[in-house]
Formats: sequence, structure tokens, C-alpha cells
Amino acid sequence: MKRFKFILVFCLLCAVCASCATPRGTPGAPDDMQPSQRPDASSDEAGLWMYMDRIESRLKTSGRVVTDPALNAYVRQIICKLDPVHCADIRIYIVDTPHFNASMAPNGCMQVWTGLMLRAENEAQLAYVLGHEMAHYLRRHTLQQWRTVRNTSTALAFFSLATAAAGVGFAGSLAQLAALGAIFAYSRDQEREADEIGFEIMAKADYEPVQASQIWGDLLAEDEAGGKSARSIFFATHPTTTERIATLRNLADKTAKERSSWTAGREAYLNAIQPFRKEWLHEEVHKGNFNGSMVLLNRLLKDQGASAELHFFLGELYRLRGEKDDCENARAEYEKALQLGNPPPEVFRSLGVVCLRMDKAKEACDSFEEYLKVNPDASDRQIIESYINRLR
Amino acid sequence: MKAKIVVAPRRATVLLLVSALLIVCGGCVTTSQRGDRCATPPASTNVLLIEPDIILFELTAGGLEEPRADWTETAKVNVAKKLDEVLKKTGDKLIPHQPPVNVPDRMHTQEQILKLHEVVGQTVLIHKYIPLYDLPTKQGCFDWGLGECVKSLKEDTGADYALFVYLRDSYASPGRAALIVAAAILGVGLQGGVQLGFASLVDLQTGQIVWFNRLISPVGDLRTPEAAEKAIQELLVNNPL
Repeated sequence: MKRFKFILVFCLLCAVCASCATPRGTPGAPDDMQPSQRPDASSDEAGLWMYMDRIESRLKTSGRVVTDPALNAYVRQIICKLDPVHCADIRIYIVDTPHFNASMAPNGCMQVWTGLMLRAENEAQLAYVLGHEMAHYLRRHTLQQWRTVRNTSTALAFFSLATAAAGVGFAGSLAQLAALGAIFAYSRDQEREADEIGFEIMAKADYEPVQASQIWGDLLAEDEAGGKSARSIFFATHPTTTERIATLRNLADKTAKERSSWTAGREAYLNAIQPFRKEWLHEEVHKGNFNGSMVLLNRLLKDQGASAELHFFLGELYRLRGEKDDCENARAEYEKALQLGNPPPEVFRSLGVVCLRMDKAKEACDSFEEYLKVNPDASDRQIIESYINRLR
Repeated sequence: MKAKIVVAPRRATVLLLVSALLIVCGGCVTTSQRGDRCATPPASTNVLLIEPDIILFELTAGGLEEPRADWTETAKVNVAKKLDEVLKKTGDKLIPHQPPVNVPDRMHTQEQILKLHEVVGQTVLIHKYIPLYDLPTKQGCFDWGLGECVKSLKEDTGADYALFVYLRDSYASPGRAALIVAAAILGVGLQGGVQLGFASLVDLQTGQIVWFNRLISPVGDLRTPEAAEKAIQELLVNNPL
């Protein structure tokens, strides 16, 4: 009876497999996206677009989008410099999140996270990441990936059922693992391709080639300090960063000789992000990844020179960690910020808090008073006054 | 960095719950709810018809839901037409919702209200219709609402009430259908497509949900006018308009 069932199911599966394994759109590379191209309404691609359009309309009103016109115009002009032909099809959303990321949806909705913008050292580095995202759009990577997942999961469902019928359920779960591996391997290939295309269009737009590997190198250093280096190779959705850095460095070595001068766009970039940097740094130090943030802040100090703002946030990092000696460490950083001049007003408040922890009531009181003097409209005025009254 | 993969976790959760709903509430006769302490709308009132939120999916053999743009468009046309027909008979004045696309501030507020309604509606669906998730503070009463923020819709449109409709529908692909048959022979039950929806009538003065109903059906098809009509009639049952 069992054998009969198996044969019956097997025949059924064979009969239907041909008709359903390739429902709409076959796996593999579709043609590149053409300017102002829209997918055909009956296609699987149109379904993905419809879904993403909906998510995009939600993103617009999420409250996390940085709407500043100058910053948006700045990022947009980089995109248009990289790809004048497609830039009208791309909508950019700068999303206020203190993590390094950027993403591209199949409908041209691009997200750039502020954690990435805080980390980039110049326009060329941002341009490289934007180019990488553009490549996902141009090569229709989401559509390719969707088709792979769909067709793999379809094959998987049939395979699991057929093996279950034959009484070998174990083979089904092995197949599941292999299928997952296949899906992610595909995405690793896509990331490699996006790296290459991103590099190509960045170099074509005159951006300094070495900056592409530089931004990954900086990220790797931060990641290793943050203890995230122990990643599963099998399930990694990205090629290992060291591999990407090596590939990009090789490309840069070859390309750099083609021209005598390249643009890094350091000053323009730092000017563009200057009005937001304090807020982004504030979010960064409150992320709770002390070691990673420490590497980042020290790198920014090295790259951009000592500033009261950076020393203040280094102090904040120690104060928030609150381990042994961190009060002294924080205080030392706040002192540096004060010496450099023009510190953020909050430095006095933080200094007061740290002194309070160190049982230095007089200094704490002085700092709190100074805080209210330089920041008379402070929203936390009442609580600071209550501290002062208690300390006196 | 990755290309964005289209996955909606909340939707997956809702669908899981829907399966539970089908089992638990399969035999329920009355599904519509009337809001406590809500006055019945007067005989002739102004009703704002919010554009129904509809997405249709194809259920692939592997069980993935693939959004279908063409089916969704057809369903939107069918549902809008039927809603109009059914509600016109009530004698109320129907105001089609036109998002104020050129006024960013108002547009923003209206978008937030639509998002809020979706969250509240899904919450009602879970906590009112699945006994397991009954909330202690909502025992034996129905007093859900969106709050007074909806007043801005009243100011913008002059409507007294707003009708929100949310519909999701999925249909088994030929491959999925074959798999269901094959699995059935082996004694395994696999889920085919399912229709899920809810509608609510909101008092734009108080923000309270005056009437709410849900629709869950393993059959039905919004792609044809006849089946869409049936679904709308079922969804709007016992509405006070």
C-alpha cells in the first residue's frame, strides 16, 4: 500500500513539476534595468514593485527619515553624477539609524542610513556605497533573488514530500539545509557583482578608487573590536569582508594608474554632514556597543583632528559604560573638550554627573551651574536645579 | 549590504493567527461587532470611503506568497464598484477619499491615520476574535478606537464617519494545487489560498469604532465581480449605515 502511494505521488509530482517549476520568470540574470522602465503588470516583478511601493509610502511617514533639503540634494547629486541615466528613477531616503547600512528596493527606493554617513570619511567613500546599491537596482538583484528563493522553495516542497513518502524524512531536512545554502550563496555572488559594478561607476565618475576598499577596511576594524567577527561562513549573506577588501584593493591598484588625479571630496562631504554630526554621534554612543564605537571615535579623531565634540562623545562613551576607572576616563575626555574650546553645552552637565559619582560635590555643583549658565533654556533645567539645591 | 528582500513578518503572524481563527471560530454565526456607548449613525449621514487596502497573492508550490499586481488592480476595481453599489442603497452621502497629495502636512497626518487603523484593526482581529488572546480589560465589551486624531479627517473632508476596508487574498498556483492533492493522498493537510479581511466604521468626531466585521474564508475570489460582491456583502453584514 505504501509503495502504491509513493508511486502515485511520484507520478503526480512528475506530471505537475514541469508546469509549475517555472511559474513566472525563470531564475538567472534578467536584462539590466533600462531608464524609466516599469515592469509589465502581469509579471512577478510588478508584484514586487507594488509591494515595495506600499512599504515606501510607509517609510515616508515613518518619522525616521531625514528631510533636510540640503543633505538630500547633496546625496542626490552624487547619485546623478554616478549614473545620470537612471538617477531620475531613484528615490533616496536618508534614514536616521546609527548603524552602517544602505539598501536598494527593486522599485528604486534607496535607503541610506545615518550610521553609514557618520562613518564615511569623504564623498568618494559614500559614492562607492551608493554605486554598490545602484548596481543592485541595475542588475535587478531582488527579482533574481526572489526567483531563486521561489523556485528553490518550490523544488524543496516537492523533494521533502517525495522523500517523506519514501520513508526517508531525514533526506528532506538535509535538502532544506542545502537549499538555504544555495539561496545565500546566490546573494554572496550578487554582493560581489555589486561591489565590482559599484567600483566601476565610482571610478568612472572620477572618485578616488582606493576609497572603496578603505570604507570596508574601517568597518572590518570596527566589527572585530565589537566582537562580531565570529560569523558563520555557511550562512553569511555577504562575502567575508576581508575578501571584498582584497578584491577592491586589487581593482584600485589597477585603476589608479589610469589617471593622475582623482577626487576624494573630503571637504565637501564633511561640510555636508557637519550640521547633523552631533546628533549622529549622540545616537552612536547610545547604541551600547562600547568597543565598536570606541574604534570609530578614535578613527574620526585621527582622520578629522581633535575637536571638542569628539572628545565630549568619547567621554560620554566612558560615562555610559560605567566600568572601573570610567569616571576618571570620562572626566579626562571632558577636560580635553573644554580645553579645545567651543564644547557642546552638555559637557558641563556630564562633567557634573561624573563628579557626583566620584563624590566631588563642589565640582559637580559648579559644573551644573555652568551648564545652566551656557544653556539657560535647557529642557532639564528643573532636575539640574534640584541637584544643585541638594548639593549646596 | 543586501538588496532588500520583500518579507513582511507582521503579515506572516497575522496569517498564522488566521489559521487558528479558522479552527477556533469556524462555527461562529455572528462576526460583526457594535461599539459600546456609540450612537447609531443618523439615517442620512456623510461617509468617507477610504480607498480599500487590498493586496492579492499567488501561493507558490513552496508556500511563498507572491504579490500579484495585476490581480490586485482587478480586485480594487471590483471591490470599489461593489462597495459603492451596496452603500448607495443606504441613502448616505458617500465621499470618496482623495489624499491631499499637494499638502504635505495634511497628507502626513492622513497617512498616519491609515497606518493607525491598520494596526488597530489587526489588534481587534487578534484580541476580539481569538478567545486565547482575550484581553482582561476588554471582556464582554467592544470599545476600540483610533482616538481624536481622526477629527482632522472630518475637518479635511466634511464627513461624519469613515469606512475602512482591509483585504488580503491568496490563491494557490497550479503547482500548489497539485501539491495539495498529492499531500492529501498521503494524509497531509496543506493550506491553499485564504481570504482575510476586516472593515470598520469610525466615528470621526470621537474616533470610536462604531462597527467592525471580519471576513475569513478559504474560498472566494476578489478577481471576479460576482465573487467580489459576495465578499463585500458578507463583510458589510449588520453595518449600521
